[in-house]
Amino acid sequence: MSPIKVCILRIEGTNCEQETFDAFLELGAHPEMIHLKELTPETLLEYQCLMIPGGFSSGDYVRAGAIFAARMKSRLFSALKKYVEHGYPVGGICNGFQVLVELGFLPRLSDHPEACLATNDSARFECRPTLLKLENHCAFTQKMDIGSIYEIPSAHAEGKFVSPYIEELMENGQAIFRYVNPQGEYAGYPWNPNGSQYSIAGVTNEQGNVFGMMPHPERAFHIYQNQEWTRHSSTAGGHGRLVFESVIEYARRL
Amino acid sequence: MDVPVLTSNEEELKEISRATGVGLELQEMQQVKEYFQRKKRNPTDVELQALGQAWSEHCSYKTSMPILKEVLLTIEASQNMVVVEEDAGVVTFDEDHAYVIAFESHNHPSAIEPYGGAATGIGGILRDVVCMGAQPVALIDPLFFGPLDYADSLPRGVKHPKFLFSGVVAGIRDYGNRVGIPTVAGQVCFHPGYVSNCIVNVGCIGIVKKEDIIHSRVGAPGDYFVLAGGRTGRDGIHGVTFASAELHENSEHESRSAVQVGDPILKEPLIHACLEANGKKLLSGMKDLGGGGLSCAVGEMAYAAGYGAEVTLDTVPLKETGMESWEIWVSESQERMMLSVPVENVDEVKSIFDGWDVPCTVIGRVIPEKVLRITHKGKKILEMELDFLTKSPRYRRPYTVRTIHPVVPELEPPTNYNEVLLELLSSPNICSREWVIRQYDHEVRGSTVIKPLNGKIGYYTHGDAAIMRPLRSSYQGLAITADVNPRWVELDPYWGAAATVDEVCRNLVSVGAVPHSLADCLNFGNPEKPERLGDFFQVAEGLHLVASAMNISFVSGNVSFYNESHSGAIPPTPTILGVGIVRDLRCAVTADLKASGNSLYQVGTAQEEMGGSEYYQVRHVTGNQIPQTSPGVLRRRTSALLAAIEKGCVASCHDISHGGLGVCLSEMALGGNHGVSVTVDDRNLETALFSESPSRWVVEVVRGKEDEFEHVLGEDAHRIGAVTDGFLTINPVINLPLDQVRAAWEDTLWRMMG
Repeated sequence: MSPIKVCILRIEGTNCEQETFDAFLELGAHPEMIHLKELTPETLLEYQCLMIPGGFSSGDYVRAGAIFAARMKSRLFSALKKYVEHGYPVGGICNGFQVLVELGFLPRLSDHPEACLATNDSARFECRPTLLKLENHCAFTQKMDIGSIYEIPSAHAEGKFVSPYIEELMENGQAIFRYVNPQGEYAGYPWNPNGSQYSIAGVTNEQGNVFGMMPHPERAFHIYQNQEWTRHSSTAGGHGRLVFESVIEYARRL
Repeated sequence: MDVPVLTSNEEELKEISRATGVGLELQEMQQVKEYFQRKKRNPTDVELQALGQAWSEHCSYKTSMPILKEVLLTIEASQNMVVVEEDAGVVTFDEDHAYVIAFESHNHPSAIEPYGGAATGIGGILRDVVCMGAQPVALIDPLFFGPLDYADSLPRGVKHPKFLFSGVVAGIRDYGNRVGIPTVAGQVCFHPGYVSNCIVNVGCIGIVKKEDIIHSRVGAPGDYFVLAGGRTGRDGIHGVTFASAELHENSEHESRSAVQVGDPILKEPLIHACLEANGKKLLSGMKDLGGGGLSCAVGEMAYAAGYGAEVTLDTVPLKETGMESWEIWVSESQERMMLSVPVENVDEVKSIFDGWDVPCTVIGRVIPEKVLRITHKGKKILEMELDFLTKSPRYRRPYTVRTIHPVVPELEPPTNYNEVLLELLSSPNICSREWVIRQYDHEVRGSTVIKPLNGKIGYYTHGDAAIMRPLRSSYQGLAITADVNPRWVELDPYWGAAATVDEVCRNLVSVGAVPHSLADCLNFGNPEKPERLGDFFQVAEGLHLVASAMNISFVSGNVSFYNESHSGAIPPTPTILGVGIVRDLRCAVTADLKASGNSLYQVGTAQEEMGGSEYYQVRHVTGNQIPQTSPGVLRRRTSALLAAIEKGCVASCHDISHGGLGVCLSEMALGGNHGVSVTVDDRNLETALFSESPSRWVVEVVRGKEDEFEHVLGEDAHRIGAVTDGFLTINPVINLPLDQVRAAWEDTLWRMMG
């Protein structure tokens, strides 16, 4: 069985590509860091998974993710659309989530964004541990359990998910992760670090193969990246690892 | 344009130095005059400017280096690889890797323009690490401001501490987070002595394969000088000369142009491109363009290799037209690196930088003779021997060492110890730094194993040191901390400096790290005043006392003089950055209490030495008997405590510093959301609870391991109580619910900064 090829896409200011790369590599996949300039409609099809990592692509000096999305649109839009229609998994973490929303790939395919990752209610960048409850499955969660709580940290200034179609998304089961407190309750700040509607931390498209989340699973890959690890004796992997294991498994079955 | 130096008398020479902004002293101007008399011509404006840069205190360390060489830089440690000579220190990490440390001040720019000044401070320190071939892994930022509630009238031209604090934090946040290097350690200190001159120190740690270490010198004659990164503009003109003079009320207008403009989104790919080119062994040397711009980088790279350089300014990419030759030559515009590249590699280097959309341009060549020659628009505008240009004068300026007469205040014991403890916890120099820490991304790159805030999710306390895992293939960690107590150094420079190194070592040991190397950022007033230089001398001696006993060296650092304005000098502020090695990071220890029933021990005992303490502050008295570190005791306790950690006896550990034992216990309790029940010697409760005597820790010992711990620590272990699920209880005098303790400690900065 040949390893799954993963394209980790980057431009200037993308800054979580290395740890995303390492996560895939340690699980036996074959990740490659590819500059957007190098990716063509043809080469895209060589990969079984496309990831857009976190960072501040092009400085996020416009809306977060907007410039990266615009450049992807101009070069690859129809190829990407086909890629998604074929069922390939496309993931966006933090800035990557913002890019997928700006691109009109999340919460569903459209010509213009149907949601927004707005400035946090606190109006500032927040770097803190967050707890996520898995609500529904998508291509990135098969190895996780619905209703379980996962510790995956957040670090962003623009992560407040808002959409005029929020009720529809909830009904469709497109909300994948929601922020909760240690008791598993949907709670306010700081458990929900940004003020997202319905405490949403991650969403998928209608097909379940495009997925974006604000928290950083690549920073919760090893147990020693957890906030609390010195308080426990467990040496099992971090919770974020399951996201990568899930998508590799999904891509393998394609 | 020639400058008429040859025909000028003393007064005229001084006037030339002033009018051109080169900042040279009279005797230096006379040396310049003699040099050009031998050449039988006047210097050009470019030549004079180049000398001003190279001979500035900031670039040349002309006042500090003789003292540092004599007093401080004499410690040898076998792990050191590159010490002091280059932009950053390099120290052995494991068989194949080294770590790189750089530590600098960005004080004057931050006082004028806090956001840009602090941001470009981060930019500069990253370049210092990258130019050794290393991948940056962590940023550190100790900051010092006037009191946030400062209500007196501000001296003219001075900005309010609150404005400076929020601007500096925002600058570090926006640059550090964007460039994607985690900010993991630092310090925030408030003191009235920083009202007119805030202190912004920035440090960076990097990791490099030993075979990839590259030096700040050219390879061989014929190599090209390749300028990579940002365009050159009028921002950052005269930064180093600005940094080598006192601030004054017109600094804002006159020196605004000395502050550069940072661009983290150019820096990010620049770092990738430099490291890629270096990793492919295409470069023969690399140096960042920092203070002094092209002028310092080209001259120093050539001189360090014993060669010279021929450079043209015609190909330097510019931000604007109409720049004067000298402006191009000394501009400190950000995000630029100088590479020396063997001819056969130039095309490959260019294609790497093109791949990252980062401009790079050949601007000159290395020549065999030790001469620097620059042309611009067909004219030779500079020709000087590098022996003259780069070898700045050295000074042995006069200094006076102060005599200290002991002052011990009369003080009745407090009537309510609960109130005193709560007041200490809420004081600006002790309270929670969450407001700052959470604005910085301290986890990007995914290698922050022990984070700046420790504790149970939903609760937190300050950690003593962060631990990074620089290599995914290894469980060896790097512990990082930075500290200084300026109130102590102000009262007694020698013992204050000694106590600073003590605290840095304590912090490292708390998390289970062996102290391994140090970097110093020495911030002082005007060294031309003998009492300031006397303080500097004593600080160097105090630092040496403890560092030499611990057998670790200062491998990198920076001296920032002239932190002084018409309203006085800052307290002498020797900020120390410490790095420790954690042999197995899976055994690391944090400060948050872990489990009820575990025993609590104090390592060491408190002494009556409370000058400069937080306790005196809240009681509104002054005394100057500050703690006197005993290096031998520190060393003994350090190795015993590390052995106890290695044996798995230690559940949590926190060093006793600001606020003494009472504050230390409170912080540990908050992080774990546990109470404590503690009894201490009540013959002198104030000392027992609030003294800041060094070389002490509180240790939570795993239940059942008490005997082993006591055996390892010997006479230094004092059992003081146990972890509980209830209140914070000490003797009969302190009994507080955790919520009240938490509110006192957590709210201050949020209330003041919003």
